[in-house]
Formats: sequence, C-alpha cells, structure tokens
Amino acid sequence: MAADTSDVTAGFGQVSRTAGRVFRALLLAATLFGIVFVTILLLYVANDAIQPLTADPGWHLTFFLTLVVPTAGVGAFVYRRSQAAFQTGMLALGFVAVALLFSGGAAMLFIDIVRPLTWLAVVVALAVPAAIAVGVTAYDQRLPFLARFGVTTAAFYLSLFGLPGPLGTVASWLSQLGLPIPLGATLGSVRLVPSVVDVVSGVPVAPAPWLMLVATVGGPIGVVAGHAVARDRGRRARVAASSAFLAVVAVAGVVGPAVGVTPVPAVVVAAVGVVPPAAYAADVAVNAPRERVGLAVPATVIVGSLVGAGIVSVVGLAGPQSWVDWAFLTSAHSTNAESAGFYPSIGGSILLMLSVAVLAFPVGVGAAIYLEEYAPDNWLTRVIDVNISNLAGVPSVVYGLLGFGLFVTHLNRPAGTVLIGGATLGLLILPIIIISAREAIRSVPEAQRAASDGMGATKWQTVRNVVLPRSFSGILTGTILALGRAIGETAPLIMIGAPTIKFSLPTQVSETVTAMPLQVYAWSSLYATPDFYTKVVPAGVVVLVTVLLAMNSVAIVLRNKYQSHD
Amino acid sequence: MTENTAETADESSDGGVTATTGAATTTPTTPPEPVIRARDLDVFYGSERALESVDIDIPEQQVTAIIGPSGCGKSTFLRCINRMNDRIDAARIDGDLTLRGTNVYDAAVDPVALRRRVGMVFQEPNPFPKSIYDNVAYGLEIQDVEGDHDEIVEQSLRRAALWDEVSHQLDSSGVALSGGQQQRLCIARAIAPDPEVLLMDEPASALDPVATSQVEDLIEELAEEYTVVIVTHNMQQAARISDKTAVFLTGGKLVEFGDTDQIFENPEHQRVEEYITGKFG
Ligand SMILES: Nc1ncnc2c1ncn2[C@@H]1O[C@H](COP(=O)(O)OP(=O)(O)O)[C@@H](O)[C@H]1O
Ligand SMILES: [Mg+2]
Repeated sequence: MAADTSDVTAGFGQVSRTAGRVFRALLLAATLFGIVFVTILLLYVANDAIQPLTADPGWHLTFFLTLVVPTAGVGAFVYRRSQAAFQTGMLALGFVAVALLFSGGAAMLFIDIVRPLTWLAVVVALAVPAAIAVGVTAYDQRLPFLARFGVTTAAFYLSLFGLPGPLGTVASWLSQLGLPIPLGATLGSVRLVPSVVDVVSGVPVAPAPWLMLVATVGGPIGVVAGHAVARDRGRRARVAASSAFLAVVAVAGVVGPAVGVTPVPAVVVAAVGVVPPAAYAADVAVNAPRERVGLAVPATVIVGSLVGAGIVSVVGLAGPQSWVDWAFLTSAHSTNAESAGFYPSIGGSILLMLSVAVLAFPVGVGAAIYLEEYAPDNWLTRVIDVNISNLAGVPSVVYGLLGFGLFVTHLNRPAGTVLIGGATLGLLILPIIIISAREAIRSVPEAQRAASDGMGATKWQTVRNVVLPRSFSGILTGTILALGRAIGETAPLIMIGAPTIKFSLPTQVSETVTAMPLQVYAWSSLYATPDFYTKVVPAGVVVLVTVLLAMNSVAIVLRNKYQSHD
Repeated sequence: MTENTAETADESSDGGVTATTGAATTTPTTPPEPVIRARDLDVFYGSERALESVDIDIPEQQVTAIIGPSGCGKSTFLRCINRMNDRIDAARIDGDLTLRGTNVYDAAVDPVALRRRVGMVFQEPNPFPKSIYDNVAYGLEIQDVEGDHDEIVEQSLRRAALWDEVSHQLDSSGVALSGGQQQRLCIARAIAPDPEVLLMDEPASALDPVATSQVEDLIEELAEEYTVVIVTHNMQQAARISDKTAVFLTGGKLVEFGDTDQIFENPEHQRVEEYITGKFG
C-alpha cells in the first residue's frame, strides 16, 4: 500500500497514529472525569456553606480591587522574574495559612483542654529526665549501656507518672482478666510516689497562665526559629534572633488584651501561627537573596486583605452570610440551625488525632523498622507481609467492632472515650503507617547501608545514623496522610459508642469525645431539617476538608523537600 | 621499622624494571609476614561458585592490584576480606582467610570489629547526606575513637588530598561535591579511624580522567602507611600504581599472582598474557 501511494515528495511516507490518539484522548477523559466531578462537588458544598453571593456587590468589588488585582499583578511580576522566587512566595503564603489554622487548634487546646499549669508541669516533667539522660550520656565510657538505659527510662517514668503509674493500672486490668497479680486490684488506684507532673501542677502559687505559655511554647519555638534564621551567622546572632522571636510572643500577651484578645490565645497564636512563617520569611530574606522578591506575594495578600477588611467595615458593606463563621467555629451544637456550632467536634477531632499519633506512630514505625531491617526472610515474615496489606483493606467498621470488643467488653473501659477512640483509629491506620514507613525505609539506597556497615558500624548504628535520618521525612509524610484517613472516619467511632453530640470538650483522655464526621452525620440524620442538611452540614464539611487539606499540605511539602534532597 | 618499609615501597613503585632486581637483592632478609593470607578459599552464591580455591599472600604496606574480566569474582574476593559477604544471604564461604594470623571466619571473630580494622572504598562514591565533617568523622563517632576529632578529620582530608578544596566548607553537604571529590571524601572517611588494611573496589571507575589520576596518585601515597588492596579493570592503572598484581580469570580462579612488573612484562600463563594484551575480557 505504502509503495502504491508514496511518491518522491512524500519522502518516508506516514505512519498511522490514530490508535495512539484515541488512547490518549481516553486517558485524558478518565483523568478529567475524576478531577472535574470532585471539584464540582466541593464547590457546590462550599457555595452552600459560605454563600458568597449573599454579599454586597461593593464588598466583592472592594476585595477584588484590594486583594485579587494586586495579588495577580505582583504574582505575575514575581513569576516572570524568577519561578523559584514565586514558589518560595507561594510556600510562604501557604505557610501563613496553615500555621494560623494550626495555631487556632493549639489555642483551643490551652483554653479548654489543658490548663497551662498542667502543661507547664508536663514540660518540666519531660525536661528533668531529659537533663538526667544527657548527664548520664556524658558519662558514656564509665557506665555500661544497660545502666544508662535503665536510669534514663526510670527517670522518665517517675517524672511523668510517679509510682505505680500506668504499670499499676495495667496490673489491675490484668488481674481483672484473672491473672494472679499480688495487690493487682489496688495497684490501679493508689499513689505511692507522686510524679513531677503532680508536684508541679500542685504548687500553690504559679505565674500568670500566659507567662507560662510564653516560656514553654514561645521559648522552644523561638529558639528553633532563631537558629533556623541565623544558622550561619554565629552564636551571638542566633541568640539575638531567638530572643527577638521570644519577644514577639511575649509582646502578643501584653498587646492582645488591648485589641480584645485574651492573653492565652494571643500568646499561642503568636507562637504557633506568626513566629514560624515569620521565621521562614526572615530566613528567605536573609539567606536566599535571589528568592527574596517572592515574599512580595504573601505580603500583598496580607496587606490586601487587611486594607479590604478596613474599607468594608468603614463603608459598611455587608459580607457574605457564611454559615462558617466565628460563632460556628466556637460554639456547640444547638437544635436551632442558626446557632448550631462545631467547636466540640473540632476539638474532639484534634484530640483524637493527637492520641492516634501518640499511640500508632511509635508502634507502626517500630514494626516497619523491624520488618525492613531485622526480620529474617522466611515464610513467617512473608505471611505477615501479605497480611499487613490485607489489614489495610479491612473495612473500618470491623476495626470499630474490634475496638469495642477489646477495650470496652474485655478491658471494661468506658465506651467512646478519647483513649478508646484514639486506640481504635490507631489500630485502623497502623497497617497504613507500617506500609508507608517500610516504603520510606526501603528507599534508602543499599550503598548507604554498605558504606556504614563497611565502616564497622553495628546494625543499630547503621539504622540510627543512616537509615532513620534518611527515611524520616518519608515516614512522617506517610503518617500524616494516614492521619488524614483517620480524621474522616465515622463508622469506628459509632461502633465504640462515641457520642454524636457533645457540648464541651473532654479535659481527660478518659472522657467521651465526639468528632467532626460524627457531628456532621448527626446533623444530616438526626436533625434533618432543611437548614441543617443544606447549610450546617456543608459548613461542617468545609471545616473538615480544610483541616484535612492543611494536614495533607504539610505532608506534601515534606515530601517535596525530601525528594529534592535525593 | 616503618620508615624502612616505606622506603622499600617507594623504591619498588617508581623503580620500573630495575625494581624487580632491587627487590630480589633486598629479599634475603626474612620475608615479611603477609597481612592477609587466603588458603583454598571458595565462595558460593547459592549453588553457583564464584571463587575456586584461591591461595594468596598479600604483603604489608604495598598496593596489591586485583585484575580480571568482569564477573570473575574480584569484588567477591575483596568482600571476603572484611566479611561484607556476610551481608549477602546467599553467600557461603569455605576455606581459610587470615588477617595477621587470625582466621576471620573463626566463630569468635566479630565481623563488625573486623571491619573496624579493614576499611573499604566502594565503586560508586557513597558519601552520606551529612556535612563533609560528619562524613569523615563518621567512623570516629561510631567506633568511639579517642583523641581530637577535629584534628583527625583535618589530617584525613589532607591525606585524601581534599583538604585544600573543602577546608572552608566543612559544614556543607558531602553529596554536593563533584564525583571525584566525593570519592576522595569516601577515602578520607575510610582512613580516618586508621584501619590496617584499605580495600578499594574499582574506586576510580565512576570518575572522569582527571579525577581518576588524582585518586591514583592518592592511592600510591596511601601505600606508604596502609596495606592497600585495589580491584581494577583498568590494566594501565594496575601497572602504574601497584606493587603486586593478582589476575583472576573466569570461573573465579586466581591464575597468577606476583610482582606487577613481572606479570605485565613476562606472565607465566598464556591466558594471562592474552588478557593483559587485550585479546579478551
Ligand atoms: N550478591 C550476589 N548474589 C548472587 N550472585 C552474585 C552476587 N554478587 C556476585 N555474584 C556472582 O558472582 C560472580 C562474581 O561476581 P563479582 O565478584 O561481582 O565479579 P567482579 O567484581 O569480578 O566483576 C558473578 O558470576 C556474579 O554473578
Ligand atoms: Mg566488581
């Protein structure tokens, strides 16, 4: 055929690409299908929740002129100057948003859940044994390892729990299960030696709560921020930068009340929400002169929003009648849709995620390290391998049943508490954490292990000095993504008897807790009036998705950073 | 004692043809005890044999080159010396390999302790993603070496001919260096804890010609203080920098071992001559 049609001018002739084009179009359609539908759904929900069209046209115009136009202009300018600078600017902007979001959660923690004095007690109780550990390690050669390990562990245990502490509780559980443990029944309730936490939180006179937070939250964050900014500039610069950041936090506590914010949240927001992005910006400005221009992007957004807000309130232009507003974020459920709020569920989800992280991270990462680095390659480990993958696919309802059966029925724990919820969700994401952590550990090049082993490193030294540092950000990324799965789970929480509606936050791990998806579920089923399921539910979903995206963005930034270092 | 041997090594390395006769005239004193001695050494990967009854005596403070076509077991032999083959599940070793009289495969020998006496440099530069300083100090840290680490790091970098290039940036990352610099960094890392033997598996094969000649010069200098065993597939390199040469041929057999000059000028075996002159391999 080719011979018939080709003439001299056709050169080599043509090769048909029709099948390839059709294939490519189908792939594109498949890609767009998912993205477009999810986007439409989210926009639809966000529109119901925020109702942008109810705002005064002047309001839109104001923000269009003060925020959108300048941002677009500055963004385009920066992008044309340097793409790297633009990326830095966008990262800084995202950093501001995410940090402020997290600072809200942290402020909630210190207002309603942990008393600042208790927090101070915990920090002191961690600092004392840490100092002992450092002191003992300085003795290095003279003390055998087991002695050092024993002393350090005992110091942490005594300082945090006293005697008998959780070991006593476990003993009493076990004796309830029928094991012959002497004094088992009483060990759970007596207190022989008070812990440092007890001692510190029991002191009669304590500094003002916000001052304690300046020291315990602002201090460490300030030091880390100061060192990041002035890392190459000598000790004095580092001390100066750290002090400056600490001063910002302290000043927030003084200035806060003047503008109507109580000192505790002012300090926490300054420490968690303002200092870290400010440190990032300062770091870019000082250490990366070529990307400095990128900081114009977040600056324009921040200034534009403030100016717009100023104009709108002076002129009196009404904003959108959003269902996601301050009252929604800070009040509890109500049978009246107008005044229903999300606060206990937001706080509950945060608490659950913290306990999931504390429980599942060490166990999951530990298992991953063992399976990757130590386990022999035999049929048993291969069976375990396959089953971990299977466990990751078990429906979450089943984990709920497991949690209920294990903790409530067998161990006689009260149903629906923070601890039980955290443990159940922790079990749920444990296989995911193990799988992703193994992936991260496996990605450490064999040549790195060989280099370390060849230097005469023991297995443990290679794992600690080479494998873990290199895989840590990957492990962290996987864990955050797994937490993202846990934060959206409803079924297991229902199974373990978590209440769908709570009016306050738990202040102890043994109190019952609700969570965002649970509350949304309650609104959409138990309180199914039109206002609830067309307005309040979308508002709850928007908050849930925002928190989820904030968490995932941290994971994504970590992963990109990690990949670019390879 | 040390000076003495250093001189002998010098003589034989730059003496060319006359070195053989020189060596012949100095040998009447008792022959030096070999550092590494293999007797009837076999290595199997699963059922496949990679080394077949290898006998070799590797002398102290000289460069011993191991040459041979690809897949003939050069790396396998090198890994026997510091028991890096233990890391390969399928590997099984038979026979004797002694380091200064101790059989390294004795049950009482701790492979980790052995590797602290026998340093290794790999084919691909493999610095850690840590600072240059931390790379060189790695062995000092994990082996709890006493003494001033700053000083040892500087000394090792000087010996690895890298100090002048990196002295102002010890805090910057080791993986940001060029390939040749990375390999010299790995050499500095290997010699910092002062091992008795230095094993090198084609250390210059991933490098450009300039970096290669820098590393080669370095190896000649290192032989003044260390016993160096180097695998190479580059005949000129072996001829240039080594005192002794071992030729492995396909099947994992050590076919010929002797003074480098003699092997390259007058090999005993036909196959070795063919290999050296490039007829195969
Ligand atoms: N890890 C291993 N597992 C199985 N076989 C191996 C392994 N390493 C090397 N071999 C085999 O052993 C033989 C010698 O390999 P090697 O020592 O790497 O040779 P050389 O370094 O001379 O190229 C080859 O046939 C190779 O396939
Ligand atoms: Mg090889």
